[in-house]
Amino acid sequence: MPRRGLRCQRLKFLDDSDLNALYFAVIETLSEMGVKMDYRPALELFADHHGATVDWDNHVVKISEGLLRKALQTAPSFFTLYGKTEDYDVKVDLERVYTMSGSCAPYVLDLDGNHRLAVREDLRLITRLLDHMPNLDIMHQIVIPSDVDEVGYELVNFATCYSNTWRNFYSQAQTAESVRDQVRMAAVFQGSTEEVKRKPTFTEVVCMISPLKHEPQNSEVIMESARWNIPLYIEVDALCGATTPAPIAGTLVEQAANVLAGVVLAQLVNPGTPCIFAIASGIIDMRTGVYSGGAPETTLLHAATAQLAHHFGLPFQGGTGIDAKLPDAQAGYERALQVLTNMLSGTNFIHLAYGMMEQMLLASYEQCLIDEEIIGACFRIARGFEVNDFTLSVDLLRKEGGPLGKHFLTKRETREFYRQDRWIPTLTNRDPWDKWEAAGAKSMRQYANELARKILAQAEQEPLPVTPEQAAEIEAICQEGVRKAKEIIRRREESRK
Amino acid sequence: MDSRKCEELYKAIIEGYAEDAEALARQLLDQGMPPLQIIDECMVPAIQEVGRLYEIGDYFLPELMMGAEAMQAALKIIQPALRGEGARREVLGTVVIGTVAGDLHDIGKSIVATMLSANGFDVYDLGVDVSASQFLDKVREVHATILGMSALLPTTMPYMQRVIESAKEAGLRDQLIIMVGGAPVTQAFAEKIGADGYADDAAGAVKVAKNLVAQKAGQQKA
Repeated sequence: MPRRGLRCQRLKFLDDSDLNALYFAVIETLSEMGVKMDYRPALELFADHHGATVDWDNHVVKISEGLLRKALQTAPSFFTLYGKTEDYDVKVDLERVYTMSGSCAPYVLDLDGNHRLAVREDLRLITRLLDHMPNLDIMHQIVIPSDVDEVGYELVNFATCYSNTWRNFYSQAQTAESVRDQVRMAAVFQGSTEEVKRKPTFTEVVCMISPLKHEPQNSEVIMESARWNIPLYIEVDALCGATTPAPIAGTLVEQAANVLAGVVLAQLVNPGTPCIFAIASGIIDMRTGVYSGGAPETTLLHAATAQLAHHFGLPFQGGTGIDAKLPDAQAGYERALQVLTNMLSGTNFIHLAYGMMEQMLLASYEQCLIDEEIIGACFRIARGFEVNDFTLSVDLLRKEGGPLGKHFLTKRETREFYRQDRWIPTLTNRDPWDKWEAAGAKSMRQYANELARKILAQAEQEPLPVTPEQAAEIEAICQEGVRKAKEIIRRREESRK
Repeated sequence: MDSRKCEELYKAIIEGYAEDAEALARQLLDQGMPPLQIIDECMVPAIQEVGRLYEIGDYFLPELMMGAEAMQAALKIIQPALRGEGARREVLGTVVIGTVAGDLHDIGKSIVATMLSANGFDVYDLGVDVSASQFLDKVREVHATILGMSALLPTTMPYMQRVIESAKEAGLRDQLIIMVGGAPVTQAFAEKIGADGYADDAAGAVKVAKNLVAQKAGQQKA
């Protein structure tokens, strides 16, 4: 049975009039200012379509409301992201909420408490660890290994993560060739590239720059992914107050115009390509200029963007790394506020929900476990509760004697109800002081550390989703892809000279 | 001479009004105030005050940057007059700065460039996606004292080391102070790749640049 996320949208920061005002501001931006796209094949495609105006001098494309609406009609609001078995398939629509890991931290905080550059073995281990988190739906690479060459690194990430997870893999690519290499790697598991095209087990993300810029590789990857029917997270990473205007409303406008230009491009290449409106935006800290994922304004921005993305009929990815450096009180409050607010706002994919800290620079093994706990508790709140004759319990109260009754702990109704209603904590300690002290007076971080070691030891004994032969074949395609990518870079550098 | 105008220029820089600063600098020149005196008496104390207000936590980044931009706007007016007189403003050093090849992130590097420029450095900002040869060609052309590199992506960080290696091969390493920065960059990384300086924000970068220039001058004397 496929995974079906919780439907839990309860929070709205924008009313209908706000949404209309935002809609018109986005149309004005797209049709009168446009988006810069430094990729000729994309501009040529736009130039062939009614409703697009290309400024060839500045590489800017302006998109009319009509063309945008046409694209939004073909962009699906329901689709499936495939796992390696049906049990890991994710049914996406505008209501259901899922979680994902990621992304690309250069540093790790390891289980011995060391802060150091991440290596490929960290990527494998954390991927195995995260694959055991019951609440995780989509796997994304959490670190960028420092012992891997920067050219073609995404192919190494693919080979490492894809072979170590049952879940749909959230990938990235620098070139069209890299997308094709990833299709080939997935085909090793799926049987053929045709099967990958029919039921892709991975997705691609492209990250746009604000204000209103698509770099050549963004357009190249959008176009190639669309040809292969690979679902796309079309992501903008606005720095609210620096690369976009300081007000949240102004940032909402820029983000939507930027993302929607990418959605139109994907739909022009292959109508029906699943596109997810994605952001990893944050405010900048006005004191230092650093990106702040954990700021309350950032969470507010993400919650409001969920509403706007849904207004355009697109599923939404929000949520981002927090600012804490350690699995501490700051990490707990930042993650909990971010995850819960996004859930209640109907963010369909809660991004970087596991282990990501220090403005997307640091991945913590321990925090992955703590975040699973936080996410579990947040889902419990988001699920709410039912009011009906059974839960009102007036008959039970009367049966037990009303004011003359004793307690309900041993009633059949209680036993049947609590198992499906209560969230059972794993790492949270609810003991009184003496008992907690007698058990070693451990912090949540220590519990997380012990559990991480236990899961990792157990994970090494379990069969992987791909056979050793398939993993070797995937690795060979990866290494050949890296060799090709280096060749492309070498030729590009020569042409520069 | 109208000393009120000097006071107004000082205030315009502190309050970050670039257009006013530009107009006031022009008026002071028209009144015959020597360009060097305008810089030393009306402008440098202003940018120092902006820095002090930032240090004590009164000013935040927007005020700091607006002050720096007002300073730059006034300097743009004063500099041609300075050259006309054959005088030279004393610059602390010549900086070539850019975001390394493969990386298109602009804003952090631009903040550092503006801050250095407002604080007495001559700055050549090469923009983003800058290759080793582009960096070194400019270093040769302008006889740079400082080479500043930025990277936001963990995957483009290693390119900084390639630029440093290229500077060594080109025989330029010893004459240069090399500074690196950007979100994923750390002091340890800077040391590992053989850079001379690192700071985690723009105000820090100005301090580090000033210290390194003073150190280098000390070494050369000794």
